[in-house]
Amino acid sequence: MLKDFFRAVKKIYLCNNIVLWMILLVLPVSTSIFMVHFFSAESIQRIPIGIIHYDYSKLSERLEYSLSANPVLELKLQCSDFSECERGIRRGEIQAFIVIPYQFEKRVLRYETPVVPIYSNGQYYLTNMFALKEIRSVFSTIGSNLFTRHIKEPIKTEIHSVGNSTGNYQGYLGLGLVTSIFHMSSILIAVYVFSFPLRDRKTKEYIDAAGGSRMILWFASVVPLILISWFLMLAVYTYTHRFLAPLTLNEFIMVGAGQLAMVLACTGAGISFVGITGNMRMATSVAGVIGGPAFAFAGQTFPIIAMPFFVRCFAFLLPLTHLLKIQSQMILGDVGLIPSWDSLVILLGMGLFWHLLGGRLIFIRWKKWNHD
Amino acid sequence: MIKRLLKVTFSEWKLFFTDPAAVLLLVIAGFIYAFYYPTPYLKQVVTEAPVGIVDLDKTAMSRQLIQMSRAAQQIDVKYVFDDIHQAKLSMADGNIYGYMIIPNNMERDIRTGQKVTLNVFTHGAYVMLHGNIGTAFATSGLTLGAETKIKRIALDKQVPAKSAMAMRDPFPIQIQTLYNRTGSYSNYVVPSVLVLILQQSLIIGICTLGGARAHRKFRKKKQESAAENESLPYRYFGRSLAYFLHYACFIAFYHFVVYNVFDFPRRGEPLPMIVFAVVFLSASINLGMVLSQVFLRRETGMQIFLFLSIPILFLSNFSWPRYLIPDWMAALSAILPSSYAVPAWLSIQQMGAGIQDASVFLVKMGVQSVIYLGLGLLLSFLRDKSKLKTGDM
Repeated sequence: MLKDFFRAVKKIYLCNNIVLWMILLVLPVSTSIFMVHFFSAESIQRIPIGIIHYDYSKLSERLEYSLSANPVLELKLQCSDFSECERGIRRGEIQAFIVIPYQFEKRVLRYETPVVPIYSNGQYYLTNMFALKEIRSVFSTIGSNLFTRHIKEPIKTEIHSVGNSTGNYQGYLGLGLVTSIFHMSSILIAVYVFSFPLRDRKTKEYIDAAGGSRMILWFASVVPLILISWFLMLAVYTYTHRFLAPLTLNEFIMVGAGQLAMVLACTGAGISFVGITGNMRMATSVAGVIGGPAFAFAGQTFPIIAMPFFVRCFAFLLPLTHLLKIQSQMILGDVGLIPSWDSLVILLGMGLFWHLLGGRLIFIRWKKWNHD
Repeated sequence: MIKRLLKVTFSEWKLFFTDPAAVLLLVIAGFIYAFYYPTPYLKQVVTEAPVGIVDLDKTAMSRQLIQMSRAAQQIDVKYVFDDIHQAKLSMADGNIYGYMIIPNNMERDIRTGQKVTLNVFTHGAYVMLHGNIGTAFATSGLTLGAETKIKRIALDKQVPAKSAMAMRDPFPIQIQTLYNRTGSYSNYVVPSVLVLILQQSLIIGICTLGGARAHRKFRKKKQESAAENESLPYRYFGRSLAYFLHYACFIAFYHFVVYNVFDFPRRGEPLPMIVFAVVFLSASINLGMVLSQVFLRRETGMQIFLFLSIPILFLSNFSWPRYLIPDWMAALSAILPSSYAVPAWLSIQQMGAGIQDASVFLVKMGVQSVIYLGLGLLLSFLRDKSKLKTGDM
């Protein structure tokens, strides 16, 4: 039996199939590492901004100097009028611009509170958020020190991000994207492994290699696939997680178990798609439709609570949603593992369901194709 | 000459609706994805994120701060806890996404002229909520503190309240958002994704249909037909024209229908839109024609490009500025039409830019188009001469 198992494994995985190893190994690892390094700057800096001076005074110069000295901002454009700066925004040269009004300093000294308009480009949401935060901070620092330097604000608010104290996008988005890439790759590789005997009309050959047993062929197809995907995911996750707060051993085991359960659920789903559609092209398309945009539905960038009810139901059906929940709970630190058990049980339930369904459907297909 | 070209064009166009794989990629995908991707963001902005407050002070002032926080639009104060551990557990359970700690003796410290720090903790895995929750709590704290500070200034400087207010905030800022004024998340993400849908489905579709190859095996009965085996220039340009016309319809569909359905701003003028369509589709079609000669199987393009969708989307720099990514990635992005098409589309369609404003991106796509055209013709020529076993193509 073991001999048949290894013969079938050799037939499936060691048959000089470049596409198989591309999907199983090269693409998931390389795209994951690519995405992690994409955010190597960690947070947004040097945002180009512009300024229009209708007042040349010491105060306006001080504001300009403070804006230039801020590491998040880069004063790039000195415009002579509004349309020049607006064009700069449309051309993507600057993100925002500040208009220093006429007689700015004089009006400030007369306590007339002149309003300083700031025009920003909301289309680039994230960059805009960073730029406005820094501009606000520069203006409020200079404003509060102008007349009342010795009277401090009575209440100060400090905002902390638990588990991601530096607001590091490399860790935060990297982890989500790596998980999302493996979510898709687990479905795609299962589709590929279970549909290429059909595409190449070699089902009988594969069943013969497994000693005529469909059960052995099933295990020979599924076990290496799950193990390789899981180990790769765990390795890339560990590499990515070094940008965030470290995990304890228990937390790491919980994340590892969650990842294994997600790989089980995704491979089961991939096998079921082959069982349902009966060909590689259609099954790959279904996998693409579900796996491709999964990250948008899984709630890490746009929270699930803000999605419509039917979208929340769909998000619940995606294994990715539950694994991201486990991973995000683990970065919170000393809260224990209990909150993650529900998500793990759901993932295991999904894995069981999809493998039972996929197994049943594929066995029927194999029986048919073997006779054909 | 034109008749021969159009014969190839219509033969290919017919294939888009008759070959099952092509129907899925070149017809259905463009429609389904355009409505499927925006659904998570139907509410556009995140309001009322569930949060908690740990009140260790339990005074009139702490209750006033809780009331102020309850009034904030971005958050929904679901729980008021007595100790920090309860708040931590609630955040781990996913009931809340952040909490504020009102310290013990806050009111007393403020009244005795001391400085008080309010600590706000947000869930590190949800950066988007971090900003919303932080801003809401910070505004509440600032509002409460402003009253006290104005009183202190008035007493210290012996000025009326109006002057004290002016001294506290001598030049208030007024933020005017020029585009995406409501801060809609769908308006931020979806337009870029729409461009990517067009590019990806087009390239994968061309790879599935074998680009400009002659004697395509999957055509079975039509494998030896005249339109199928025209001379290379007719085959290349005829089929390219079919893709161009088909996808020009998609751009019009997105502009007139999808943008209306999801209430996105539609500022694109006809001329810049036409120029965009010509250069973007030319670059994408020619890139597809190049890649289609590399793969031996119809589905290989789909398997590979599905993995590349995420990196390609981020390389278009709609969310992360180009100057912050490593140089080699920026160089790599130059081979993709979407790297210039996304910013060009955002400039033209979302911001109403003219051809001159978007020219920096349009010219680069034009250059890509010319390079890929030469490469596509060369590879198709070589493939015609090749005796290599070509899978199902």
